[in-house]
Amino acid sequence: MASAPAARRTAHTELPPVPADVTVTPVQTAADLEAFVRFPYALYKDDPNWVPPLEMAQRDLLDAKKNPWLEFGKLELFLARREGRVVGRIAATADRRYNEFHGANSGGFGLFECIDDVGVARGLFEAVEGWARSQGFTSLMGPANFSSNYEWSVLVDGFDAPPAVMMPYNPRYYPGLFEACGYAKAKDLFAWELSSSVPPPEKVARIAEKMREREGVTVRPVNMKDFETEVRRIKEIYNSAWEKNWGFVPMTEREFDHMAREMRAIVRPELILIAEVKGEPVAFSMTLPDANFALKAANGRLTTFGLPIGLVKMLLAAQKIRRLRLITLGIKEGFRRRGLDAILYLDTLRTARELGYSGGEISWTLEDNQLVNRAIESMGGRRSKTYRLYERAL
Amino acid sequence: MADVFDKCTNWKDYKIAKATGLYPYFRAIEASHAGTEVEIEGRRVIMVGSNNYLGLKDDPRVKEAAIAATRKFGTTCSGSRLLNGTLALHEELEARLAKFLNREAAMLVSTGFQTNLAAMSALLGRHDIVFSDRGNHACIVDGIRLSFATERKFRHNDVEHLEQLLQQADPEAGKLIVTDGVFSMEGDICNLPKIAELAQKYNARVMTDDAHSMGVLGEHGRGTSEYFGLEAQCDLVMGTFSKSFASLGGVLAGPFDVINYLKHKARPVIFSASMTPASVAAVLEALNIIEAEPQRRARLLDIAEKMHNGFRAMGFDTGVSVTPVVPVLVGDQVKCFRFWKALHEAGIFANPVIPPAVEPGHALIRTSYMATHTDEQLDRVLETFEKIGRKLNVIPETRPTSYTPVKIARPGTYVLSNEATQRWAAASAGLLADKGFSLEQISRMSGREVAAKLFDAMETLTYRAANLQPDDLKRLSTMPMKLWEKRSELPGLLLEKGATLFIKNGKQSEQSERN
Repeated sequence: MASAPAARRTAHTELPPVPADVTVTPVQTAADLEAFVRFPYALYKDDPNWVPPLEMAQRDLLDAKKNPWLEFGKLELFLARREGRVVGRIAATADRRYNEFHGANSGGFGLFECIDDVGVARGLFEAVEGWARSQGFTSLMGPANFSSNYEWSVLVDGFDAPPAVMMPYNPRYYPGLFEACGYAKAKDLFAWELSSSVPPPEKVARIAEKMREREGVTVRPVNMKDFETEVRRIKEIYNSAWEKNWGFVPMTEREFDHMAREMRAIVRPELILIAEVKGEPVAFSMTLPDANFALKAANGRLTTFGLPIGLVKMLLAAQKIRRLRLITLGIKEGFRRRGLDAILYLDTLRTARELGYSGGEISWTLEDNQLVNRAIESMGGRRSKTYRLYERAL
Repeated sequence: MADVFDKCTNWKDYKIAKATGLYPYFRAIEASHAGTEVEIEGRRVIMVGSNNYLGLKDDPRVKEAAIAATRKFGTTCSGSRLLNGTLALHEELEARLAKFLNREAAMLVSTGFQTNLAAMSALLGRHDIVFSDRGNHACIVDGIRLSFATERKFRHNDVEHLEQLLQQADPEAGKLIVTDGVFSMEGDICNLPKIAELAQKYNARVMTDDAHSMGVLGEHGRGTSEYFGLEAQCDLVMGTFSKSFASLGGVLAGPFDVINYLKHKARPVIFSASMTPASVAAVLEALNIIEAEPQRRARLLDIAEKMHNGFRAMGFDTGVSVTPVVPVLVGDQVKCFRFWKALHEAGIFANPVIPPAVEPGHALIRTSYMATHTDEQLDRVLETFEKIGRKLNVIPETRPTSYTPVKIARPGTYVLSNEATQRWAAASAGLLADKGFSLEQISRMSGREVAAKLFDAMETLTYRAANLQPDDLKRLSTMPMKLWEKRSELPGLLLEKGATLFIKNGKQSEQSERN
C-alpha cells in the first residue's frame, strides 16, 4: 500500500523546481484576502475575452457566512509572491459531501490564477498538495470553485469567444501548467453553440411532437409568483436526475436556495421550462440570458468613485443581451429516452426566437454522455468549447 | 508629579461597562440549590460557569466532613505549615493524595494559585531554563517571574516550536517543561505524549498543572498523565481543590526529595497560613467519593459530549475543546458582553472571556458543567443559547445542514484537541480583531486611502442593494416596526456603540504611547 503512491510519484519525476524567489503562503490577513481577490483583475488586464466577476461576488464566495458550500466544505487559500508582488493564487478544497457521495478520498483545488511560469504553478500546487495530504487525501481533482454545481474545469479549447454566464475562462497556457505539474486529464466537458435563427431539423421536430401527444407531456414556464414551491420542484428533479453523473454532488437545501436567489436576478421565467406528465413535474430545463455580456460592462465593480457607474452600465448592457446559456436539463429516472429532452430543447429554441435572442450555448455536457451529445448534435448544435478536469494521485 | 493612584482614577473601562449595563463581574450569589442552580438578585439561574465539575461542593457527605473538622480543630490553623499550622489532618491528606496520584510525596498549599507560585519560584534557579506554553495559567506565569530562571514560551500546544526552543537551549542547563493539562479557557489538552518524548530527548523535567483535569480525566481521575498513560514520564503533578475536590487549596506531588525541599524552601508555602481544617476535611471526603464513584466522571463526560454537539448542531463553534470546558465563540468583545447579559436575563450563569485572557476578536462565552446537572437544565441552556445566538447573529437563522461532532477525552481515546475551524483559528491568531476602523486609524491614512475605503463601502452598499430580493424588501419594510418595538433598548445600543469606539480608540492611543 505504502509503496504504490510513492512509485507513482516517482514515475513523473520531471516536475519543475520552485524558483527560490517565489514564496507561497496561506492567506491569513485581510490584506492577503484583498490581494487574493484582486489578482485576476491585473492578470487579465489585456484579455478582451475575460469577463471580470464582481469583486463583491468574489468576496462572498470566500465568506463562510455567504457561501453555503462552506458550511460543509473546507477551504485554504494560498498566494504566490515574487519580490512582494502577487504572481499566483490557488485554493485547496475539501468537499466532505463529494467524498461521501462517491466513496472517494480526494481533495480539490480551485480559483487557480497564475502568470505564465511553471515554477510558480508548481509552488502553488505544492502548497495545495501539502494541505491535501495533511487532510489525509490520496488524490486531487480540479479545478473547481468549489464543486460540479458551480464553475469548474479549465478551458482547453475555444479561446476565441468570451465564456457564457457561470462558465470558467482562463489563459491558453493553464492546461500546459497543469500538465507540467504532474496533472492528467480526468474528464472533458463540452460546450455547444446553437443558433435560434436556424430552424431545427424537420425530422426531430416531428418526432418530438409525436412524443408530446403520445405521452401527454405539457410544458410550462416556471411560475415566478410561486417561486418557493417551484424551486422545491426543480430541486427534486435536479438532485434525482443528476445522481449518476460523473463528478456530481447533490446540492444541500441551502446551496440550492442560494443558487436560486442568485439566479433570480437574471432569469427570464419564460425560459425555465417544466415538463409535466399527468400533472407530475418530471423534467425541467433552465436557460439563462448570458449575463456575462452585462457583467463585462461593469468591469468588476458596480461603483466608481462611489458613483453607481458600473451598475448603470450593467443595467444598460443587460437590455442588449442577445445570447442564452442552457445551463441544466434534468429528467427524472423512468422518464428518460422518451424524447422529453428534445421537447424541452425545441420549446426553448422557439421561445428564444420569440423573445428575440439570436442563439447561445448549451453547456456543459460530459464528453462520454453520448445520449445528450448526440441529441444536441441532431438539433444542429456545434461543439464550440472544450473544458477539462485534471487529477493527480498524491 | 505622578501619583500612583492616577491609573485608578483614570481607569475608564469599568465606568463604561457599568454605564452600558454590560458589567459581568463580581456577581454576588445569594443562595445555592445543589450547586447546579444559584440565586442572584433574588432570581434562580442555572449555573454553567463553575468549576465544580463533579458537583461535590453541595454533597452532604463533604459538607458534614467539613463541619466535623471545624468542630474538632476550630476554624483556622492560625499559622504556616512550617511552624504551628500542621494538623494530623494535613498529613493524612498528603499521604492519601500521594497514594492516589502514584507519587512518592505530596504537599498541600493554601490555594491553587500559590501552589504553582511555590513550585516555580523555589524550583527554578538562576541557570535553569523553563519552557512554558503560551496558554498557561497566570499562576505559572507569575511563578516564573518570581524565579530567576530564563523563560522560553512556546506557541500554544505547538510541540514543534517547543522542540526548536529545546534545540536552541544550552544543553548543560537544567530544564523544565511546564504546561497546563487541560487549558482552562479553550478546553483542549496538552500534547503530553510528545512533550514527554522531547523531555527525554533533551533531558528536561516535565510538570503538568492538572487544575482542570484532576478528577475529570483518566480512568481513575488522576488527570492528564493518567489519561495518556504517562505517569512515570511526568515528574511533577499539580492540582487544585477548588474544582473537582469541592474545597480550596492546591497540591503538588512528585519525588520525595523535591517535595521535601519545596516544603522547606518555597516562600508562598512557609510564609502563608495553612489550609483550614474544614478545607482539608472536605478534600479528604471528596477524595473518598472520587475513588468510590467513577460514574460521576462518566456522567460529566457524557454531559460534555451532549453540550458540545448540541451547540455545534446549532452552528456554534466550540473550538478545540474536548473536555467539559465548553467555550462558545462569539468573536467581538462587546457582542460577547451582550450575549452574556442576555444569558443572565434568561436565567443562565456563564462567563464572558475577553482579551487579554484570549486573543483579540476571540471573545467567548465559557461554559463548564457538573456531573449533577440534570438533562432538563442542560436542554434549557441549549435552547437559550440558540435563541440568543440567533438574535445576536452569532449563528444562522436555520441550523446548518451538518456539523462535525466532538470526540470527548474519555479514558483510552487519547484525543488532544478538536480540530479548530477556520474561524476559530483566525480568531485565536487575532486576525478577526478590529475589522472596522477607528478615528485613530483614519487620522493616519492618506486622503487617497480614506477615499478608497469610502468607495469600497459604497461598492458594498450598492452590491447589497442591487441584490435585494422581494423577501428582503419585505423584511426591510417591517424594520420600522421592529425598531419601534426595540425602542427601549436603543439608548443602551447607542451607548454600547459609543463604548466600542471608545475602547478601540483608547487602546490604540495607549499603544501609540507605548511605541
